[in-house]
Amino acid sequence: MTILNQLNSGPMYLICGTIVAFVAVICVIFLIRAYKAGKAIGMDTTKMKRTIISSATFSLLPSVGILLGVIALSGSLGTPLPWLRLSVIGALHYETQIAQAAAEQTGMTTLSASEMTASSFATIALLMSICIMWGMVLSVFLNKKYTNKLSKSGNSSSAGFGDTAMTAMFIGLVSTYIGRYFGGFISENGLFTFNGDVTPIIVIVVSAAAMAIFIRLSQKKSLAWVDSFSIAGSMIAGMAAAAIFGLL
Amino acid sequence: MEQNKNTEWTNYNKHTHIIGRVVSVIMLIMLIGAPFLMGHYLGAYPDLRATMNGFFAVGIVWVVSSVAEFLIYTPMLGSGGGYLAFITGNLINMKIPCAVNARDMVDAKTGTPENEIISTISIATSSLVTILVLALGVLLMVPLQPILQNPALQPAFDNVVPALFGAMAYKYYRKNMHIAIFPLIIMSALFIFVPALMGSTSFMIIPSGAIAIGVAYVFHKKKIAADKGGNQ
Repeated sequence: MTILNQLNSGPMYLICGTIVAFVAVICVIFLIRAYKAGKAIGMDTTKMKRTIISSATFSLLPSVGILLGVIALSGSLGTPLPWLRLSVIGALHYETQIAQAAAEQTGMTTLSASEMTASSFATIALLMSICIMWGMVLSVFLNKKYTNKLSKSGNSSSAGFGDTAMTAMFIGLVSTYIGRYFGGFISENGLFTFNGDVTPIIVIVVSAAAMAIFIRLSQKKSLAWVDSFSIAGSMIAGMAAAAIFGLL
Repeated sequence: MEQNKNTEWTNYNKHTHIIGRVVSVIMLIMLIGAPFLMGHYLGAYPDLRATMNGFFAVGIVWVVSSVAEFLIYTPMLGSGGGYLAFITGNLINMKIPCAVNARDMVDAKTGTPENEIISTISIATSSLVTILVLALGVLLMVPLQPILQNPALQPAFDNVVPALFGAMAYKYYRKNMHIAIFPLIIMSALFIFVPALMGSTSFMIIPSGAIAIGVAYVFHKKKIAADKGGNQ
């Protein structure tokens, strides 16, 4: 039995599947509790249903992207561990990086099935968990204090700025990535060489243009429902542009 | 009636923290325990010295990043959403934009019960979709692999994040261009003139966010002053 066969065996699926199932149950519990609490405090159920629909459509494409991460890592780590890591706590950009670094620490030259041993696999799995668990640790100790403090300050005179600050923070996040794509195209292969990857910029422009169309449509009363699908639709347009550009 | 709602809400919040903490601790035990369990099955346990060396080599950076993520994103996610998002991961590329979009769609205000509910529903739904897609993907790995790894589709899947941020950028920039222009120009200039920063993109969110909040605060103060002036 090769190491990859062992990594893809039933017991490995059972260990990882149990944890994934546990997380799914947690999500269902939080979802039902929040929905019921929303109803109890008199929230409009239409709003909550719209949130479910838009969040589901919103998450579909990025989830397929994450699935590709599972496929990419399955060649060296088997399928169950990447499936677990990317279903729970993990992040697409993080996992490959940490797995590679962990492989080097165990004496492997690169992350590959040919060099993998049972011990290096277990070490990689442990290091991947230890490196990314800190957000959860902080939540256990500080979430209550922090959110209570925020809701108290939210009731103070500066409350009017809270929403603007959150929107601004999000704008900062988006601007960082867009700036990074510009930087990538202009200077990734040397200052002002303009021969980096231009695809992300094309994708941004196309998906922004599609979003403009969706917003225009959703402003018509009969087409208000379009709003729930605007992000997913815009992403499909942007990703289709990337595929078409790749064929040129 | 109003008092009943308040009591109900206080109870909900209290139990959210209890459930959130308990499931987070169980998850931590499972995450740390799983590699040992897998090791037991495979016949070799993790090398703790290599794990420690690896943690000091690469993990410390992620501890700092986690602290920053916790401080920045918890106010956006609320308590229930916060616990869930840190358990399920994929914050920047999915959970945060998803929760922000949902909040914006129903016009929920930060710090309100409505925001807390919408954020939790949004993150729970998003996580369930990811779990479902990945489970189906793993189940159908053999027939799906050639389709998903088709060279013609690779550029599309390599650009999921730009596609997401392009759509979100239009949605948020169009009403806030006076704020967005500053972090956008500064970040673009930094990445153009110091390309090495591209390896630390997630860390650059912190100064970029600070710039955006600073600019927003200046405009907020100006608006208040103008409103006061108009009322006099």
